[in-house]
Amino acid sequence: MYNISEVAFYGLSTLAIFSALMVVFSRNPVHSVLYLVVCFFAISGHFLLLNAQFLFVVNIIVYAGAIMVLFLFTIMMLNLNRESEPHKNIILKLAAVVSGCLLLLVLVAALKGAETTTAMPIDAIKDPNIGLVKNLGKELFTRFVLPFEISSILFIAAMVGTVMLGKKKLT
Amino acid sequence: MNAIIALSLLGIFTLFTGIFNWRKAMLPIVVIGLAGVFVLNGMDYFTTPSWYADYTHMVIFDRYAVVFSAALIMITAMLFFLCKQYYQKEDNNISDIYGLILFTLVGGMLMASFSNFAMLFLGIEILSIPLYILAGTKRLEVTSNEASIKYFLMGSFSTGFLLFGMALVYGAAHTFTLDGIRQYTDAHAGDLPTIFVAGIMLMLVGMLFKVSGAPFHFWAPDVYSGAPTLITTFMATVVKTAAFAALYRLLFYTFGSAKPIWFDALWGVAALTMIIGNFSALYQHGVKRMLAYSSISNAGYLLIGVIAMNTHSANSIFYYTLVYSLASLVSFGVLMLVTQDNGGDDSYTAFKGLARNNPALAGLMTLAMLSLAGIPPLAGFFGKYYIFINAMENGYIYIVLIAVANSLVGIYYYFKVIVAMFAKDTAPTKIAVQPAYLFALVVAAALLFVLGIFPDWVSGLMN
Repeated sequence: MYNISEVAFYGLSTLAIFSALMVVFSRNPVHSVLYLVVCFFAISGHFLLLNAQFLFVVNIIVYAGAIMVLFLFTIMMLNLNRESEPHKNIILKLAAVVSGCLLLLVLVAALKGAETTTAMPIDAIKDPNIGLVKNLGKELFTRFVLPFEISSILFIAAMVGTVMLGKKKLT
Repeated sequence: MNAIIALSLLGIFTLFTGIFNWRKAMLPIVVIGLAGVFVLNGMDYFTTPSWYADYTHMVIFDRYAVVFSAALIMITAMLFFLCKQYYQKEDNNISDIYGLILFTLVGGMLMASFSNFAMLFLGIEILSIPLYILAGTKRLEVTSNEASIKYFLMGSFSTGFLLFGMALVYGAAHTFTLDGIRQYTDAHAGDLPTIFVAGIMLMLVGMLFKVSGAPFHFWAPDVYSGAPTLITTFMATVVKTAAFAALYRLLFYTFGSAKPIWFDALWGVAALTMIIGNFSALYQHGVKRMLAYSSISNAGYLLIGVIAMNTHSANSIFYYTLVYSLASLVSFGVLMLVTQDNGGDDSYTAFKGLARNNPALAGLMTLAMLSLAGIPPLAGFFGKYYIFINAMENGYIYIVLIAVANSLVGIYYYFKVIVAMFAKDTAPTKIAVQPAYLFALVVAAALLFVLGIFPDWVSGLMN
């Protein structure tokens, strides 16, 4: 029979897929955002199943918490509703559906073959402590220290840009 | 590597010059700093690149990376000579703009030197995010805002594809390092799992967006024509060079033995990019938009260099990007002056009579256009020649035939500018040009000439 983690996996997956679909299908943008929060919670649950406790917490705090709240504020400030939504023409919709289905086909085909691949054993399974903050920090400051430091350039550029675009025009 | 650190510090220092309001010193500091970075980068050319590769497996400054970085730094330095006149009226934000351009350059250098997917992703993002902002620096113009938001939305979307592709590749190969993935690809060359193939394809989608390859080029004309022209120049030169450096590095060093998988797709993209770029350029009324489409078609020629992939390919791609960047720099530089002089009008008629009152500018523009069209004594011809010969060596005749036909189409719209400049017109004005501005354009045009006569000065740098 199924053990508890398998039940959790299938439950979380169903929830994630359902809420992701609802993000796209729901008419009200605020509902979309709320479903996205649910989706992020489900994905965070997957992190927990993979022994990544730190990622679990960070995903909830940063994505489901901070970023989604920002999204909600933005949507409320833009005051989107059904009337102001632009209507796309039918050819554009058709093209979008066709290309979306093609992408789905490719991805399903890719993941269908995944089980039978010549896959090497995944390290994360071998070491159950890989997701602890301590180990993650060690990785981050030894092997990945260069990307870690370089990303500061990314953040300073983003900050400078935000300040620049947000500043009042003085002249 | 030292060059990247120095460049990051230079960018931060430039932001400080804005705080202390050293307006006069800003430009000399940046240019001298870039010269220093160029030297630091050049020193890596003579050392064996082992230390950084062993230490972290994140970046590797082999000759490929050093040579491409040198080109990126040089073109950026030339662009800074154009900055002063272009941003004359902009007072408040000028140091921020300089800083962001330098940060973009950091991203470009990382894209030329990555040896790990994490660095590739960071490089692309460090290149892109300042660009999204720079495209919108003319805040009061609708087109600039449109360019910025369009570039941002489309760019983020394409980054999603890139990340998804990386995840799938990781799922198959269990490593992010280029070496590790190459070993995996070599070992399983015959029967690569579908998940890996899908990963390569999705990564290609993300990369082709950055180089504006044909089905993913829709953002390019709007963003190029909407952004401030100086930033457009930056996109057409530095960003395009960096994107091709990254694309070729990815395909050559990592997915080289998986060539049968991506070859047909990239072949089609190359053909489509050339055809769409050239034939759309024919119908443009504005020169800026025409140059945007010309940039798309040049991406098509470069993709031929990528799919040829033999021992000369890296050199020929480098030569082509360098020459194309120089020619773009000159043509956009002259375009900026003409447009500003005509109150924002960038149509062909704005160029009428330029040769009479501004012979220097008209001469520079003619040189650039002839080089872009690929007329023999100039470097643009040898760029195309190397790329085509390279593809012929591998027996890819049909794509070369398509490319040659397309270059003939290209001659028509490049010559339209020249014809307009030498047409008789009543009273065009004399355009005031700052010496620094003219200096940069003359140096670029002279390089086009010199590299055309001595192409082997740079075409063998990676051997």
